[in-house]
Amino acid sequence: MTTINPLPADPGPDVSPAPDTSLPAGNYLRPIGVVLMLELRQRLRSRGWYIMLGIWLVVTGAVTFLSWAGWNSSQNYSYIVPDQNPGPGSLIFEIVLAFVLLFALLVAPAFSANAVNGDRSAGTLAILQITLITPGQLVWGKFLASWLVSLAFLVTSAPFLLIGMLLGRMTAAHVLVALLMLAVELAVVCAIGVGISALATRPLFSIVVTYLTVAALVVGTLIAFGLGAMLAQGTIRANTPDYSYSEVYTPEEPRYTCSGDFYDLHVTRTDQVAWMLAMNPYVVVADAIPYPDRSQPNQMIGGMGFLEGISQGARWAIAGPEATTPCANGQVHPGYLRQTVPLWPLGLGLQVVIAGGLMVLGRQALRTPAHRLPRGTRVA
Amino acid sequence: MSTTAAGAPDAPGSGLVASGISRRFGEVRAIEHMDFTAPAGAVTALIGPNGAGKTTLLLILASLLAPDTGTVRIMGIDPAEHPTAARMRVGWMPDTLGVWESLTAREILRIMGRLYRMPAAALESRVSDLLALVNLEGLANQPSRVLSRGQQQRLSLARALIHDPAVLLLDEPASGLDPGSRIQLRRILRELAAEGKAVVVSSHVLAELDEIADAAVFVNQGRSVLAQTIHAAAAQGRRYAISALDPAALSAALSFRGLQFRVEPGRRSAVSLLLGSEDDAARLLKDLVAADIAITSFAPAGGALEETYLSMDAEQR
Repeated sequence: MTTINPLPADPGPDVSPAPDTSLPAGNYLRPIGVVLMLELRQRLRSRGWYIMLGIWLVVTGAVTFLSWAGWNSSQNYSYIVPDQNPGPGSLIFEIVLAFVLLFALLVAPAFSANAVNGDRSAGTLAILQITLITPGQLVWGKFLASWLVSLAFLVTSAPFLLIGMLLGRMTAAHVLVALLMLAVELAVVCAIGVGISALATRPLFSIVVTYLTVAALVVGTLIAFGLGAMLAQGTIRANTPDYSYSEVYTPEEPRYTCSGDFYDLHVTRTDQVAWMLAMNPYVVVADAIPYPDRSQPNQMIGGMGFLEGISQGARWAIAGPEATTPCANGQVHPGYLRQTVPLWPLGLGLQVVIAGGLMVLGRQALRTPAHRLPRGTRVA
Repeated sequence: MSTTAAGAPDAPGSGLVASGISRRFGEVRAIEHMDFTAPAGAVTALIGPNGAGKTTLLLILASLLAPDTGTVRIMGIDPAEHPTAARMRVGWMPDTLGVWESLTAREILRIMGRLYRMPAAALESRVSDLLALVNLEGLANQPSRVLSRGQQQRLSLARALIHDPAVLLLDEPASGLDPGSRIQLRRILRELAAEGKAVVVSSHVLAELDEIADAAVFVNQGRSVLAQTIHAAAAQGRRYAISALDPAALSAALSFRGLQFRVEPGRRSAVSLLLGSEDDAARLLKDLVAADIAITSFAPAGGALEETYLSMDAEQR
């Protein structure tokens, strides 16, 4: 017959249990690690995850190959002198990066947006809540698990960004910054998903809401910026630019001089609404990627990459008409904005506020003993 | 009304005491001013129809759900104020299964132990002991999705016991168990009570509880209707089913003694009647045998708790 051996230590009724304490921080982190391990183990044992990873690898590879093939076939019609030809590297890099970001934004909600309420449906959430784990630790564990799982997809796509680097013009710094920013964007989306999944009752609902939130960041910010810009009309004082032909052209140097009488110029005050544009994940990533050197003449050969273009566009918008309109306030302004003051911290900061806010609300929703329950749910 | 079920005096702060518990869900009053006591060293049954508030009460006792009014004391500890200390002392087995399907039974128990901050060395032997206790040693390293419902129930019990809680809350623990596992569950629960733990069992299977429980709290429509010990339940009279080779002779003999009885439908020519005590039953059987009635069976028709339950239910409607 089997019997239960009672545990040796039963502390007195007024003492909190004496666990294997070492550091206060370690005590807080350890349950997070347990939840993380619990989630990862489940994920690594599901075959669907590997299938998705395989599909991802094949699709990213195909995109890389097609970008390279497309560049090759366009070379037959290129006027660029072969010596100055930068190669397909930056094109492949930009296409793969944009593609990976797109798929990251699509995949991350799938891993995060049912993290908490999926457990609630399966009856496993309350089993965790009954233990000594705190709601904060639970939310952190779920977030880290979904983030790590999403990062696996990023790691899979890293070799294709490296191909972009090897085929010219891109440096290791480009690839590192790109991977870092993609990882950060994944974290933002995962945090949004986990927060919403703790707040919403049903997994289907929270997944849809998370996708809509991501869509709001990607598309909604553009729409909001456009509509906002229509409302943000204003006038500035400017005089007349005088464009004179210059043989040597560097993009950062102005190509005109200002003269004549000042008059009121009707402009769109994009600087008032461009913070919405800054929240766009594509803007955040594009703006963080280091620019090529534009200080020397004739360096616009090969054109501006579209990531650089996105970043420039957003910087023009946030700089506003005062800083970009020729001869606003009689000043000359460069045609190209340097990367000295980056824009992405603003956008990322706003994203973190949203994601962090959702995580905090989600943590509140998991507090026990629970006072309020979502309609139509049971705790267990 | 005092609803201390088992009359035995307890040391202050031992076991589980809930008083004046109310909880609404929107317009629905799930529990209204319910009192519940589960003394240490005893098995207390929580009995009531579906929707009576049993699961809600257990969730409140397990400190997962906050009551609107009332207080809960787990071994004298208020879980709202000292959640960690309270949770170290409560084990809860939910009525939903809730297993991580791709994890093995051993991994699940290990994870639970780590979340209770058990030291690694003690945890390993604890996990093995519990797997042996619930007879899952052979399946310990299989993914829990291959476990049958009854096996998952047993895993759930082991999970609730992992941190050796002083108070054990079991929501329908016997559902889905085969007869052998039920007997085993009964034995485990009796052992735990003998170790001095307060065990609370909610169930519909009343005959089962007769064997396990020391006391019962009956709830209906969110209120605790009655609390009684098994002894008290047994003493209040109980229905016996009697059958004889010659049913007519049996009926005549009972009528002759002025006893009220009814012919049970469905059963093969059995009659049933209410008897005040086991003494009465023994005396009647002796009389009938002495009167040369060929008795083929003479047994309680239902459990003692079932009798209370049915009479209570009749009062409510």
